[in-house]
Amino acid sequence: MNAPLPKRIWQWFAQTRVGRSIFRVGLPQSNLERAQAMVSSFLLHVQPAKVSRHALRPATTFGLGLISLYLFFILIGTGVLLMFYYVPSTDHAYDVMKDLQFVVSAGLVVRNMHRWAAHLMVLFVMLHLCRVFYTAAYKPPREFNWLVGVGLFLLTLGLSFTGYLLPWDQLAFWAITVGTSIAGYAPLIGQKLQYLLLGGHIVGQESLTRFYALHVIVLPAIAVLMISVHLWRVRKDGGLARPDEPGDEVQQIKLGQLPTNKSYGLMELARGTTPQVGKDPGDEVFSWPNLIFRELLLGLAVVAVVLFLAIFWNAPLEELANPIHPPNPAKAPWYFLGLQELVSYSAFWGGVVVPGVLVVALALLPYLDRRREGVGRWFARERTVATSIFTFCLIVAVVLTIIGSVFRGPNWSWQVPWRQPSAVVEEH
Amino acid sequence: MNHPIPNDQVSRRGFFQLTLGWLAAGFAVAASSAAAVRFLVPNVLFEPSQQFKAGRPDDYPDGSVTFLEQERVFIVRQGNTFRVLSSTCTHLGCTVNRAERGYHCPCHGSVFDDQGNVKSGPAPRSLDWFSVSLSKDNRLLVDKSQRVKSDNYLVL
Repeated sequence: MNAPLPKRIWQWFAQTRVGRSIFRVGLPQSNLERAQAMVSSFLLHVQPAKVSRHALRPATTFGLGLISLYLFFILIGTGVLLMFYYVPSTDHAYDVMKDLQFVVSAGLVVRNMHRWAAHLMVLFVMLHLCRVFYTAAYKPPREFNWLVGVGLFLLTLGLSFTGYLLPWDQLAFWAITVGTSIAGYAPLIGQKLQYLLLGGHIVGQESLTRFYALHVIVLPAIAVLMISVHLWRVRKDGGLARPDEPGDEVQQIKLGQLPTNKSYGLMELARGTTPQVGKDPGDEVFSWPNLIFRELLLGLAVVAVVLFLAIFWNAPLEELANPIHPPNPAKAPWYFLGLQELVSYSAFWGGVVVPGVLVVALALLPYLDRRREGVGRWFARERTVATSIFTFCLIVAVVLTIIGSVFRGPNWSWQVPWRQPSAVVEEH
Repeated sequence: MNHPIPNDQVSRRGFFQLTLGWLAAGFAVAASSAAAVRFLVPNVLFEPSQQFKAGRPDDYPDGSVTFLEQERVFIVRQGNTFRVLSSTCTHLGCTVNRAERGYHCPCHGSVFDDQGNVKSGPAPRSLDWFSVSLSKDNRLLVDKSQRVKSDNYLVL
């Protein structure tokens, strides 16, 4: 009995009547129990009993999707806590922010966590999208899951954008004024959409109520549903995309060609790359503990990083929203600053056409790119053209975002960030 | 179904059942969607009135451009003529600031001249001019729902 105390307590509890009624399988001791632990647990059965070594390698995915999921969990947790204090009223919302900061125990940390987790989620969802592109993981049979992923990407932006208004400070008010005005440029439905979104012609109480409803129930509910579909499809589409290995070629045996000296089971007549005949699945290991503990460790790291950010950096809060004085310069959230930079040249082309075309192109990507090479490998040489186009768009987006973030000063004129910004003169 | 129907054929009854079923379902979805969208369109707006009184004409000195914060308009007086200029940037709805000459938008850098015309920047059209008249009690009456041309003056 040299096992550490927590393990001994767990072993004892798992043996009791209550423990057995809950867990069925105790702490797995054999391979059978390792498989059973995965299959018989509600929380674990989403994942396979065995997983390939390829999937476990950090460089396969860098865990980007899982990190996004953990951030989403943090956002739900902190978001529900915030709901206990928040009032979606233009008279009270800002006061609640101050209360969270000065009155509520740990209020500031919870709000900070929510804010940083939200920014990080946008970032990691984007990185996840890039990973899936660069490893060609959207190719058949995973086309539909890519589409769901693009939907989730837009949903993440929508969640972040609707949450942006809720503190009802200057930052919130003007970011939403600018953001919804961009929507107003959409052809045909633009004006109506803007009116519907704001519940009027200007950002006011109706807008706040609407954004609140969207932020706390409508969009999260859709997100939970779509994340479920997304994860389920990962398994149904055969797990993480893997490069073809020798012997993985599709075996298609015609019945008439079967050699007569061998008997065949139904499985051996199956088409496809997954259950290979005569191939030792030697590159697979049990999910418990190999996958589960890596995932838990990653979860711990994500919580630690968000908590660290939340303790040392406060979420921004400017003055109370003032419809009369836009801050100079008035900036959208960072992930929309590339868009805002484009919009500063032309609202219609930069705000509607370019993002519209990009989103449609992203959504249709797996149906446009019909070549099958390079699945599961980073920057596969056969995909130089696709990789180059995507990288070009990515670089343009990043450069525009950087310009919008730091190179744009008062009146949206050029500024050099490492010089002292010129004083803003209030002109009336 | 007393008479067995081959799989690739639809009986008359089956056809009507199918058609009616789909029609009913389609109608239910369409009607409830339309009702839901209509529900979300506000019928009453609790926004400041589009028409308001802006004080006596003499409150504004000759040659002045006065910003009314609540209404977000500029009252422009030249001699005995009055005009009202919108301060809402035609680009993305920010409030423009009065500059030494013309108006500047702080959000995306649009610059307008004294007549509200776009001099530079992304604004797609010039600033709006609003209708202004004199009420019976001798006050300036501005109607923001009525747009007028820039050479439309109220002459006193």
